[in-house]
Amino acid sequence: MLKYLARRLLASIPVLIAVTIIIFTLVELAPGDVADRYINPEISYSEEALQAIRERFGLDQPAPVRYIKWATNALQGEMGRSYISGEPVLTMIGRRLGNSLLLMSTAMAFGVLVGVALGVFVGLRQYSFWDVSLTTLSFVGISLPAFISGILALYLFTIHWRIFPSGGMRSVHTAPSVGDTVYHLILPAGILSLGYIATFMRYTRFSMLEVINSDYVRTATAKGLKRRTVIWRHTVPNALLPVITMIGLSVPNLVVGAVFIETIFSWPGMGTLYLDAVGGRDVPLIMGMNTVIALVVLGANLLTDLAYGLVDPRIRYD
Amino acid sequence: MKKLLIFVTALAMLLALPASALAQGGGGTLVGGFDVGPGGLSQTHPWIQTAGNTWLIKIWSPLVSYNEDISGLAPQLATEWSSNDDSTVWTFNLREGVVWHDGEPFTADDVRFTFEFVLSPGSTATAPVGMAGIKTLLGAEAFSAGEAESIEGINVIDDLTIELTLAVPDPRFPYKLVEAYILPEHAIDFPPEDIATAEWWFSTPIGTGPFMHDEFVRDQFWAVVPNPNYWNGAPKLDRLINRYFEDETAATLALEAGEIQFTYVSGDVALRLAENDNYVIYQGPSGVTNYLIFNMREERFQDVRVRQAFLYAIDREAIAEIVLGGTATVVPCLAAYPAMWPEEYNDYAYNPDLARQLLEEAGWSQDEPIEIVTYYDSQFHADAMAAMQQFLADVGIETVPRVDAEGYNSYFYTGEGWSISYRGLGHTAGSYPFQYYETGGYPDAVGDAKTLSGASYPELDELIAQARSEADPDAYMGLLQDICAFQNENAIEGSLWTAIRFAATTNDVQDFYWFPGPAGGPYEDHAELWTVAAE
Repeated sequence: MLKYLARRLLASIPVLIAVTIIIFTLVELAPGDVADRYINPEISYSEEALQAIRERFGLDQPAPVRYIKWATNALQGEMGRSYISGEPVLTMIGRRLGNSLLLMSTAMAFGVLVGVALGVFVGLRQYSFWDVSLTTLSFVGISLPAFISGILALYLFTIHWRIFPSGGMRSVHTAPSVGDTVYHLILPAGILSLGYIATFMRYTRFSMLEVINSDYVRTATAKGLKRRTVIWRHTVPNALLPVITMIGLSVPNLVVGAVFIETIFSWPGMGTLYLDAVGGRDVPLIMGMNTVIALVVLGANLLTDLAYGLVDPRIRYD
Repeated sequence: MKKLLIFVTALAMLLALPASALAQGGGGTLVGGFDVGPGGLSQTHPWIQTAGNTWLIKIWSPLVSYNEDISGLAPQLATEWSSNDDSTVWTFNLREGVVWHDGEPFTADDVRFTFEFVLSPGSTATAPVGMAGIKTLLGAEAFSAGEAESIEGINVIDDLTIELTLAVPDPRFPYKLVEAYILPEHAIDFPPEDIATAEWWFSTPIGTGPFMHDEFVRDQFWAVVPNPNYWNGAPKLDRLINRYFEDETAATLALEAGEIQFTYVSGDVALRLAENDNYVIYQGPSGVTNYLIFNMREERFQDVRVRQAFLYAIDREAIAEIVLGGTATVVPCLAAYPAMWPEEYNDYAYNPDLARQLLEEAGWSQDEPIEIVTYYDSQFHADAMAAMQQFLADVGIETVPRVDAEGYNSYFYTGEGWSISYRGLGHTAGSYPFQYYETGGYPDAVGDAKTLSGASYPELDELIAQARSEADPDAYMGLLQDICAFQNENAIEGSLWTAIRFAATTNDVQDFYWFPGPAGGPYEDHAELWTVAAE
């Protein structure tokens, strides 16, 4: 296992380097640069001002030189400062990452718990009224874009019934508190969880149906074991193995955020930060965020594989 | 009798309470999206700002700002200003009795300090308008290069008088100071290299504005409280909060949910809210003129009949009224404000037959559709461009719109890579973009004229030269009108319309004022008078 772990970690290094080079190249190839963010075409344009801004951000240097400078600093844990706000990139990412983790983990945890529970429920009742109804609803949940359900929820719960706030992470009138944050979290996390509920319900249902019809479950039933024992000791644990994979693959979502929900609920997360960074050609921020996201994806994949080995005794890593 | 006396006393106290409360604040808390929409810029600060001035002037003050409707200037830290005959030496008399938020007195030394601070070698100040103004000070260039100990053109006469000498004459110099916020020499604790990044701006800012810093929560809001020493009287509000929104839709939803009392709103939202008694709508010209600019380096656009045909072919009034829902006003030239229009001009009223005739006379032909490139990516402009495309097609001009929001600046100003562009230009009388039109104004542009369009007009050059040096405000306005008349008669551009911009407050907000100033102004909005009625 340790050898496997070491091999995977070593293999991750060239992948990470390749990701940074690709992202940097793509940003370089895109038209415009951060100077365009400072020069509003509706205000008088000045070539001198444009040049001054380019020199200030080092954009007058060749691209390879800038990349090497960035990479050298990144290896020392220095990701530079945002071109737009001047804040250290890692500080910005840290703050927004925390906000995104709060939102996405709440949505995902709720979605996984409810989705898996519903998936087990309908998996044991194939073709029943509940199965048909919830499966249909899951299609709606998967198909409905988050920004539509978000706008609908805002209209109903915020404008019409005035139950929940329209956005933000806290009230502007009171001191910050856990309760206040939870209150602001309910609606955006609830909307985001709909997609997870639908997805995990579908996966769990499918997995349950596969396992229920397998030989060893049929043998357990034939042996006279109680139905409850057959379900909870033999069926459900095995049905959850593919679900673990799905959870692992969803981990990167925790850090990339949800740009639509963040925008309409004014939740300052990684999604909107990335959008602002790309729109403003904020190279240090783009590079910093992509490095963090790449690290998370690589780490999540590794953890998923390791978890598989722990859960399934048939899987061994050398 | 005793009971009556008690009753009258109690009643008198009750009636006196609101008045006394208002005298000490008591005007409630106003929460708004002050950086929503054009002119707003979240979480910016002086000397790097490219917009967001409506909020910044709540905390900091320049020497002068725009007046209420951007038609002129209003005194701020300076109460009077005058120049010598050739507009090279400007004298500013400063307001007496002004103190910084920490109680320290404001003096002319703070003005000197501010300009030298932001022009210091290594300074990271980038605010285009503010920097453009003070860079014209005599000796500023040498100072910024580290070749001088101070700026030769700054002369502090006494605590309340400062004399600024320019390297070149500029009758409109004060206009260039509206975004030049004055900083406290005694309270700045970071070097010029940290202007762009210092936490001071958001943690312990000191200004002379009507409000003082209270609480800043990054990405969420900025709250300020009244400055009891403000020269126009302590603000009546208890608290003013600028909430940040990623999107104007989110701000509109917050307004309708009752969580905020003010925000910029788009035209369609304004029309809807205007029918609801719970809201008050404010509107004004955006100051940005939308127009079609023809690349005159291409021979096909050099014939004035072709350019006039474009104008006759497009029913601008119909687009403004129907497509844009009445949220735009047709203009005769680049100028967005009627004060800059001549008394008589060609309105180029919709006339497709005349357009076809002009095109025929000019021998118009095209092998492929002409691309009209723009950086606007909003539905407002997409609708307008679609309508224009149809009108032009009706007279035989085939066009195709192309949106290039990110890369536009990288090629447009060189004069290459575009044939026609749909764009906007914001300006005031004091910031007229002469360099766009005068020969040699864009040295890096291709072609001999070195203008934005590639065309050169000697008569226009003469008018611009006169306007640049004209110090008398009335005569200057007359010259701007003459420039407008020339632009209109020669259709040097396809001037279209200026958008009307809107904002909304809930009906409990009183004595409020808002105007769509370019980059948010700053303009005189009398924020010290705003109140929110108690429920």
